[in-house]
Amino acid sequence: MRTNLQLAILAQEESGSNISLVLPETNELIAGIVSFLIVFFFVWKWALPAINRILEARQKAITGKLEDAERAKNEAESLRKDYEKQLADSRTQRNEILDEARKNAEQIKADLLAKAQTEADGIVAKAREEADNEKSRALSEARQEVANLTIDLAEKVVGQSLDRETQLGLVERYIAELEEK
Amino acid sequence: MGGLIALVAAVHHECDVVNEVVCVPADVKTLFEFKEPWFTIGPVNFTRTSFLFLLAALIVVALLFFGLRRNRMVPSKFEAAIQSLVEFVRDGIARDIIGPEGVKYTPYLLSIFMLILVGNFFELTPFINFPIMSRMAIPFFLSLVTYFIFVIVGFAKNGLSYVTAIVWPKSVPVALRPLVGLIEFVSTFALRPLTLAVRLFANMVAGHLMLSLLLGSGVAFILAVGEIGPKAGIGIFWFAFGLFIFLFEIVVASLQAYVFTLLSAVYIQSSLHPEH
Repeated sequence: MRTNLQLAILAQEESGSNISLVLPETNELIAGIVSFLIVFFFVWKWALPAINRILEARQKAITGKLEDAERAKNEAESLRKDYEKQLADSRTQRNEILDEARKNAEQIKADLLAKAQTEADGIVAKAREEADNEKSRALSEARQEVANLTIDLAEKVVGQSLDRETQLGLVERYIAELEEK
Repeated sequence: MGGLIALVAAVHHECDVVNEVVCVPADVKTLFEFKEPWFTIGPVNFTRTSFLFLLAALIVVALLFFGLRRNRMVPSKFEAAIQSLVEFVRDGIARDIIGPEGVKYTPYLLSIFMLILVGNFFELTPFINFPIMSRMAIPFFLSLVTYFIFVIVGFAKNGLSYVTAIVWPKSVPVALRPLVGLIEFVSTFALRPLTLAVRLFANMVAGHLMLSLLLGSGVAFILAVGEIGPKAGIGIFWFAFGLFIFLFEIVVASLQAYVFTLLSAVYIQSSLHPEH
């Protein structure tokens, strides 16, 4: 009794060679060639020029962008250097101004001190002068008083009024003698 | 149309699932028969497979068109994907394998790569479930085109020394030259187009068969639960294994498109510089 598998093999052998399953059918071959030609002509005439355009544009754009970035970077760099230079300049300037201000302040201070000193000295000198004046005036007044008292005393002692002018001369002479001693 | 639906239908309706160990429909050819032509132009029948061929071409055209339509500085995700795919074929295959003069073969290489890639993914596309490269037509035709390109390039670039360099390789000791020359001759002029076509074709047939068998028998077993009882549980295992193969086929589909394109480039390169 044959198995089903043997039957199947027999059936295939009866109905023709199996090589027909491997070889292309004319119908399909035609369809296949048409399909390939559709794809090939599309790729050849449209797709590859398109991708070349796209890639070239992209390459150009990227190169341009890179150059732009490089330029911007350089600009920023030079700007930064400018700023740093300005900063350093302003720092020096500030120091100069401060120095000058300090010098000015010291100058003003010294001037003020000197002026105050001079004024104080003036005031002291003036005070001393006034005191001297006061003293000499007091002395002369005292001398006058003493002379008057002496004369009055002498008049009372002598009991008579002497010639006042003569007596004043006497007293003066006497006091001068005292001073000389 | 072969594949999942036919298989499930055949197994479910024509098999004695309880008693038969190996179940084959009365005429096994029905599994490989393709649907009636939709219409006929002169002597040419237009079938579902023909339609899928043209659909693949249109999808490739649409992908490239929408991926490359706009010239923008910052592409969308889809545009970036398509553009990097094109760049991959142009730079990664054409230029890197063939050299600077290889860029002019990019239209051909890109066309076959995209067509095979989309065609292979039909294997995994719901409601299509059919890799068009599992029919010999396109692999056969494309490997023939590659064959003509590299033979013509070989003669155009090197004249008759293209063949003599292969038949009488100077880099090999004299005693070995006849043997190596014969092997090289057969390998270059007879085996290359054959292996190129069969590699793609067989890989896609195998993947399609695996998916159909595993997912189909899984469904068939599970559906037969009323007749075979607990044994239907094995269908879950087949189905799960089928899903695993499905993931695997994603890799195969991409890889076979890459391999076919890469080898075409390698063959063209070896014709430009036959001494290597």
